[in-house]
Amino acid sequence: MNQARALPATPLKQFWLKWRFHLNILLILIPLGFMPKYFADARMFRGDAGLGVNQISDIQVGPYSLDLAELRDEAPRADGPAGHFKAFNAALCKACTNEVKAVYLRIGKPRSLRAAGTIFFGAPYRMGTNLPVPPRTRPDAQVWVTIEGWDGSMHQASVPLAKASPATVAWLEKQGGKP
Amino acid sequence: MAKSPKKSKSKLWFLVHSWLALPIWFFVLIVCFTGMLAVVSQEIVWLANPDVRASQPDDSAERLSFQQVLDALNQAEPDMSVRSLSQPDGSHFAIKARVTLADGTTPTLYVNPYTGAIQGKMPDFNFEAFTRALHGWWLVPFTNGYSWGWYLVSLLGLPMLASLVTGLVVYKKFWKGFFKPVRTGHGSRIFWGDLHRLAGVWSIWFIAVISITGIWFLIQAILGDNHITISSEPVVPVIAREQVPQSTDGSPAPRIDLDEAVRIAGLAIPGVDISLISLPATAYSHIDLGGRGWYPLMFQSAAVNPYTRVVDSQFLLGDRSALEFVTESMRPLHTGDFGGLAIKLVWFFFGLVLTLMVLSGLLIWTKRTAQATAAALKRSERAPRARASDITAEIQP
Repeated sequence: MNQARALPATPLKQFWLKWRFHLNILLILIPLGFMPKYFADARMFRGDAGLGVNQISDIQVGPYSLDLAELRDEAPRADGPAGHFKAFNAALCKACTNEVKAVYLRIGKPRSLRAAGTIFFGAPYRMGTNLPVPPRTRPDAQVWVTIEGWDGSMHQASVPLAKASPATVAWLEKQGGKP
Repeated sequence: MAKSPKKSKSKLWFLVHSWLALPIWFFVLIVCFTGMLAVVSQEIVWLANPDVRASQPDDSAERLSFQQVLDALNQAEPDMSVRSLSQPDGSHFAIKARVTLADGTTPTLYVNPYTGAIQGKMPDFNFEAFTRALHGWWLVPFTNGYSWGWYLVSLLGLPMLASLVTGLVVYKKFWKGFFKPVRTGHGSRIFWGDLHRLAGVWSIWFIAVISITGIWFLIQAILGDNHITISSEPVVPVIAREQVPQSTDGSPAPRIDLDEAVRIAGLAIPGVDISLISLPATAYSHIDLGGRGWYPLMFQSAAVNPYTRVVDSQFLLGDRSALEFVTESMRPLHTGDFGGLAIKLVWFFFGLVLTLMVLSGLLIWTKRTAQATAAALKRSERAPRARASDITAEIQP
């Protein structure tokens, strides 16, 4: 330190010497700043903040109905080479929980039950899935819900992606068809 | 005064040692302190909240099996859907049941392992999760891969290891310091210095463990964010459509019960004590079971097909590569939760010592700096006068 003082002090060095211990304050401000977000997220994952955002209620899928909501109002998240994913939640009608075997979600109409899309995980009151969103998806695309019954039946319905996740459509438009 | 090169080198080491944590000392202090709390957070909650305790109704009461617990839960709350049951490490803890209620909320319930009674719901402020999040990633959310808070905290492993090494270099014959008494009555600088050195030599092993495992967390994040995996854990495929029976009346296909799944998993993993059981998350999912065997640092798991009773996938100790034995042991070594309460208390104690080392290091530095500054001021006061007398000497005839 004494050596440092002997050296000709550049403005940068003086700045560092004067403010270095204030780094502590900056570092302590970080968790304080993120605390509201932390508790909001904890509340969301407990399901206390409802199913999600931009909820579409009572989508009629054959004899059943279902609520669909995106987990967060934001663009799809990148997951490395696997591509981009958008988290959705769904809740089945109370009366149909016992008859439904599986619920799937897909962008574009599935050709068969085997390509019905990504399966919803969890209890019928609150299921979740990660929907792959190819960057070349057209902004006017439809999100298809497929319900498979324990009796082997299959029922389908669709909602506009723009309604299910406006942020995803905004992201797609910004991508402009880039891969 | 010709200094030997050895001496000046050790002075440099000393300077490095004293500067390692300084500009961010408060950050380091809080990370050490929250880490110390996180080790015993489960026990703190146990003390504070009676719901978390596994109270035995009478001496003859026996622990229920997983299926008996599930039956009790389903009877108490028929609309509730149970997602998983887990027995925390230690029989004095209640079973944790992760459930989904009909209103779409997903609380964690504390269930008595003797009666199956729901003792309470996990409070909205989860002390364990909060201290771990604060210590582990400084509450910075994970949005794209690892949070940058995770990097911020795990980077501290590097200066920590460096301060261990430089500390041992500057402390001459440190191996003789284990029973050196702390001198009192010679001023606080001497006291804190003695305490810092004494705590330091006893904590060599602990600082090494915490800093190396901390650096592993950094490496883990770097690997994860670059999508490099060293895991040999199999990806469990979904159950084939043909294996799920179809019912003519439209009711769900029957699955084996949890106790049968535990029995089947026990056959596949000899000597395992199943402590976590996840119920199928879809019609095409397995019952996932996990627990510890003879090696307390690692979990072993099996995925049992609930329709065919076949163990479709398993990950045992023997399935791990040598590298995985090392890397997978890193986390429990850091957190100290691999040998019950005794080990946790050891980790807690040395965590406290480490926190005090940061504090005592700072106190020593402040006192030393205060002295050094005073000395430097004195010198600079003297210097102009000396120069002035030189000048007068020159101009005098």
